[in-house]
Amino acid sequence: MNLAIRDVRRRLARFVGTAFGLGLLLSVVVAMQGIYAGMVDDATILTRAMHADLWVVQRDTHGPFADGSRLDPSIEARAASVPGVKRARPYTYQVIQREYRGDTMRIALVGLGWPDDAGGSLPIVRGRGLGQAHGEMIADASLGLAIGESLVLAGEPYRVVGLTKNALTSGGDSVAFVSVGDAELVAFDQPAEATQLERSRTVDRLRRTDLGRTQPSLEDLLADPKWRAPALASPPLAAVLVDADAHRVAGVRETMRSWGDVTVYSQDEEETLLLGGVVQRARMQIGLFTVILTLTAAVIVMMVIYNLTLEKTHDLAVLKLLGAPRSRLLGLVLQQSWLLGVIGYAVAYTIGELFYPMFPRRVLITSTISLVAPIATFAMVTLASLLGLSHVLRIDPARALEG
Amino acid sequence: MTDAVRAVRLRKTYGVASSAVVALDDVSFSLRRGSVAALLGPSGSGKSTLIKALGFVSPAEKGQVFFDDRLVVDDGVAQTDLSRLRRQHLGFVFQKANLTSFLNARENVELACELGGKEQGRRRARDLLSYLEVINREDSYPEMLSGGEQQRVAIARALANEPTLILADEPTAALDSVRSRSVMELFRKVAHDRGAAVLVVTHDHRALDVFDVLYEMEDGRLRPYQGQGA
Ligand SMILES: Nc1ncnc2c1ncn2[C@@H]1O[C@H](COP(=O)(O)OP(=O)(O)OP(=O)(O)O)[C@@H](O)[C@H]1O
Ligand SMILES: [Mg+2]
Repeated sequence: MNLAIRDVRRRLARFVGTAFGLGLLLSVVVAMQGIYAGMVDDATILTRAMHADLWVVQRDTHGPFADGSRLDPSIEARAASVPGVKRARPYTYQVIQREYRGDTMRIALVGLGWPDDAGGSLPIVRGRGLGQAHGEMIADASLGLAIGESLVLAGEPYRVVGLTKNALTSGGDSVAFVSVGDAELVAFDQPAEATQLERSRTVDRLRRTDLGRTQPSLEDLLADPKWRAPALASPPLAAVLVDADAHRVAGVRETMRSWGDVTVYSQDEEETLLLGGVVQRARMQIGLFTVILTLTAAVIVMMVIYNLTLEKTHDLAVLKLLGAPRSRLLGLVLQQSWLLGVIGYAVAYTIGELFYPMFPRRVLITSTISLVAPIATFAMVTLASLLGLSHVLRIDPARALEG
Repeated sequence: MTDAVRAVRLRKTYGVASSAVVALDDVSFSLRRGSVAALLGPSGSGKSTLIKALGFVSPAEKGQVFFDDRLVVDDGVAQTDLSRLRRQHLGFVFQKANLTSFLNARENVELACELGGKEQGRRRARDLLSYLEVINREDSYPEMLSGGEQQRVAIARALANEPTLILADEPTAALDSVRSRSVMELFRKVAHDRGAAVLVVTHDHRALDVFDVLYEMEDGRLRPYQGQGA
């Protein structure tokens, strides 16, 4: 006769309620851990997606994500010429915010060095990489754009040709990839009025100088759009990504160290800059809260199971007096706790499957979490049951019967 | 017949120092298989304490208990696996019914059959419940049963493992006099037919003719019953 099942059956409503409550609690803890893991992963996912061996950025900056970096475009060719370098790619990065279909859309716009880099290294799940220098875009699926859809930026339409999964910035913004040229068009886009105003201000300034007064023809030169369109003037890059032969990375780095205008980071160092700098406070805050929440939940779960066992003091005493072997008492208590744990975990799992994807930021259930969470739950309910049972068995059964 | 149980110079004290109560004071006692004994005495005289000491629920701190001529408790220390002894050879009926709350009447008896290693527990349980006239409540949980019904289920449970020794502490307190007498007769039948030894604590002087031996306790001391007013 299985006593655990019969006890559960007798107090079914309460058992189900408890299991459900445990499940909710567990799902909150797992969500919090997933939020933390998601945040850490998001912070570095963009750098990892680029699959570069070295990040060349403006000298003494921690760019391009941790702080601003402006690099002369000529560095791309210079880097490519270093022995051991297989490929050097330009890279730009800027965050824009636009209204689209009535919603605010924040996009981290990354410029890829097309045609060398058409986005082949990116986590593209549908569609393809960039196929032409202008007017195409690879967007993250989280932006909600469909393949073939066009987004207008700086007055020009960009057609979505590929969708990535989980290309996000450390701030949780979705990333869209265009060619470097397109990225610069968007970055330096100026409305006609602004250009007009800027031009007349420049003319004013010119007229107040000796040069302007002696050479009025300069005014015509200033009015020439060729002088005013920054896109034509080779604007700076945020970084140059370098792929090198595996065994020559150190050498390439050594060579670049002697250049006066750049600082070079490895992939790992870029990640450290992000985790240790950009998201550090948020990460510590959430990390600390995750620890507190986990401990709190552990205490609550253990108290619930412990009390559940203590409630059986009378029944356990009766069983003991009937001569039930210790294994039967253990079975009653443990099987029930395990059942609670399993149902609780199933509830948490279902809630996770249903609701975590709806969270505004990624909830990343790493394999460690999905392995450790059930093991920890199992260990906690087992420990609490054993503590409860050992407490109960220390009570004189004769006293328990009288009570 | 041999002694089913024999107790030698049991002593049990509750509490300490000035507030100490001597509940068993040098009690020696034996009961043969096949005999049914009554234990009488005023409230607080130590009857339940003796039953608990003989049933290894709370052993006396001094003295020996022999079961089937085997020493099983010596000065409060168990000499054998008391759990096994209990489930195989002992039947208890406590002063309060003390059924397992999450098992229905039949399952309570069935569990005792199972623990005692008896085959066909379900059938046996139903037979015993019929015998005690509570078969109509076999599916009811203890909290739905009246005090008398609970007590009868508890008696059925005590008989489930065909015990060598049955200890019953006021088993008929919640029963009317007719039922009460028939329960006493049932104990007598079990003792005589199956060779069990039965010790029953009772206050009911009308059913004393059912018993083979009568004892009484007073202030922790045991002596043969001398009749009312003696
Ligand atoms: N757990 C205990 N702690 C302290 N004293 C106790 C305990 N159990 C019993 N006693 C005391 O021991 C004495 C004997 O108690 P016991 O329960 O054996 O009496 P009893 O003869 O069964 O009485 P009743 O007829 O009322 O059931 C009483 O004085 C009682 O107060
Ligand atoms: Mg009593």
